[in-house]
Amino acid sequence: MIYSIGDSIISPIAMTSQGNFEAVSRGESRLQYYEQAFGLQEPCFISLFDEKRLDNAFSALVDFGIGEYTKMEKAAIVAANQAIEEANIAADRRDVIFILSTTKGNVDLLEHNPYEPERLYLWRSAQIIAEFFDNPNTPIVVSNACISGCAAQIAAANQLRFGGYKYAVVVGAETLSKFVISGFQSFKALSKERCMPFDANRRGLNLGEAAAAIVYTIGDDSTSLPDNTLILRAGAINNDANHISGPSRTGEGLLRAVDKALQGFDPARIAFINAHGTATPYNDDMESVAITRAHLQDKPVNSLKGYFGHTLGAAGVLETIMAHQAVKNQTVIGTLGTENPGTVNEVNVALQNQEAHGNAFVKLISGFGGSNAALLLENYRNSAMPEETRYTTSLQRAMPQRIATCQITNKNVVANGNTLVTRGATCENWMADIYRAIGMQYPKFFKMDNLCKAGTLAAEILLRDIDFDRETVKPDWAVVLMNSASSLDDDRHYQTTIQDPDNYYPSPAVFVYTLANIVTGEIAIRHKIGGESSFYVFPSLAAETEQQMVRQTFEANPELTHIICGWVDYDEGKCDVRMSLFEADV
Amino acid sequence: MEDLILELKKEIIEVLNLEGMTPADIDENAPLFGEGLGLDSIDALELIVLMEKNYGIKLANSDEGKEIFKSVKVMAEYINAHRTK
Repeated sequence: MIYSIGDSIISPIAMTSQGNFEAVSRGESRLQYYEQAFGLQEPCFISLFDEKRLDNAFSALVDFGIGEYTKMEKAAIVAANQAIEEANIAADRRDVIFILSTTKGNVDLLEHNPYEPERLYLWRSAQIIAEFFDNPNTPIVVSNACISGCAAQIAAANQLRFGGYKYAVVVGAETLSKFVISGFQSFKALSKERCMPFDANRRGLNLGEAAAAIVYTIGDDSTSLPDNTLILRAGAINNDANHISGPSRTGEGLLRAVDKALQGFDPARIAFINAHGTATPYNDDMESVAITRAHLQDKPVNSLKGYFGHTLGAAGVLETIMAHQAVKNQTVIGTLGTENPGTVNEVNVALQNQEAHGNAFVKLISGFGGSNAALLLENYRNSAMPEETRYTTSLQRAMPQRIATCQITNKNVVANGNTLVTRGATCENWMADIYRAIGMQYPKFFKMDNLCKAGTLAAEILLRDIDFDRETVKPDWAVVLMNSASSLDDDRHYQTTIQDPDNYYPSPAVFVYTLANIVTGEIAIRHKIGGESSFYVFPSLAAETEQQMVRQTFEANPELTHIICGWVDYDEGKCDVRMSLFEADV
Repeated sequence: MEDLILELKKEIIEVLNLEGMTPADIDENAPLFGEGLGLDSIDALELIVLMEKNYGIKLANSDEGKEIFKSVKVMAEYINAHRTK
């Protein structure tokens, strides 16, 4: 059993989980209109930290050196510290692993960086947070676009079940910047008023800053828990294999994730569904379709985006904690901002706070890269809790076989140990040269950033001699990739489109690639992979990390037959790809 | 008008990375989306940027774009009537 022993939400509204719940129950929000935030050329409606309040909370933890931390790191540390204190654990122990969920980390440093150059890297932020607590392990960064906060909780469960850790500190943190807001503006995805999730007149989302943390631990099923403990029952990630930014119209990936998370669970125990509910036309329609197809349309559905905005990498963690607070208080929080629900399928949107019936809830989340996640969580009440055995901890499957490999460097392409393409002396565009050399036919390739090109080429090479179903979406295939620079190569490119105020034209086609997990989405689309798609960031590739990812993904998803896994990095002109195809030993 | 159509075709090929295409491959009367060039929603957003950057025309949302991006010819006519640079 995986359960929480401490949590925390640091938001512009309040500085504790309970404080946020109480304020939100009263209908409070710090979302507001800014004519000109961050030097943006368009107004926006966002939720920003009160920096003084954040600095006060942070300076209570340090004697000096407050200026050595970025806003995102300070928020993450304050949240993690609160959760760790509540959990009453020593975070410097070897059996504690830190997992950071963020999409853009310190990306605002691209404009001006007073810190060391590495500070732009997500792994460095994670290191700074883990080092603050004297934790000796290399932290894991989950960068899976908007689903990161839920994916990080699934990663925590995997690490506790199979990774030998006793405690996982999951921290979700995101701050806003010209970079992030201008990108969403270029996507015409933002509303200039309070967002209206699931409303017939919804016009787009609001962005918000927040940090949230949960300390999960593992016990066997007979562990006696205090009442009101949050239990993570199950979680699943599925890719739509449809489009890198638009959600599937049929809710395909989300439906698969919900079905899997709820498998064998009595729906009568579910009090409500806390949806992603971003208030963009497509997302909310897609969720309504998936909820209906999962036969959950009568359950109350809410969205918290009208209070906090979309807090990106923090959202999955923050909203899980808020939903737990609500179910603990037998409440379904009303969906602030919404008046007349109107989605393609009718769902039971909770407009006002109402009484919750049941102890369990479902958390949904979807994002760029075609990724979707569903979590099933439950509030422990001794008197009302049936026996439950959902999470096994022993390894059930044999180590999968590595059946194909592909390495791409700036010099050559090596497939299954043989040199396939060698870079010519006069090469001007190496990625395009490889594309032509292997005879690939895929015009979309030329729209991709370098990271996606490198990963897509490697996947193409890995699979070219493999006999598999290329026509239908395969929920039993997964793609799990890692790197060091996340999408920094494309981030730098995007920054050039907004750097000069007199030549300010944020490019949506560049912005969409400023998320590292898009490469998993591109591969999923090309090869119709509908199982898990995940992206992690580490300072470098350790052989055991790849083994661990493959092993854990196979164990956590018993239906999987194949995983494309490995390292795909593109940074400052240097390409470093080491990907493999693994097949289950059946 | 012919000059503008040719210029526009070149710009579309460049900003949308339509590899291997030449202006002659684009029929100015054919729909840009759906069948035509196989463009998607991100391409539509990028065309909105092109309109603003190169011709000083601001479009509020992609719905407005739908009418204007019917074909290269319709786009060129709209630019001719509304351009500020």
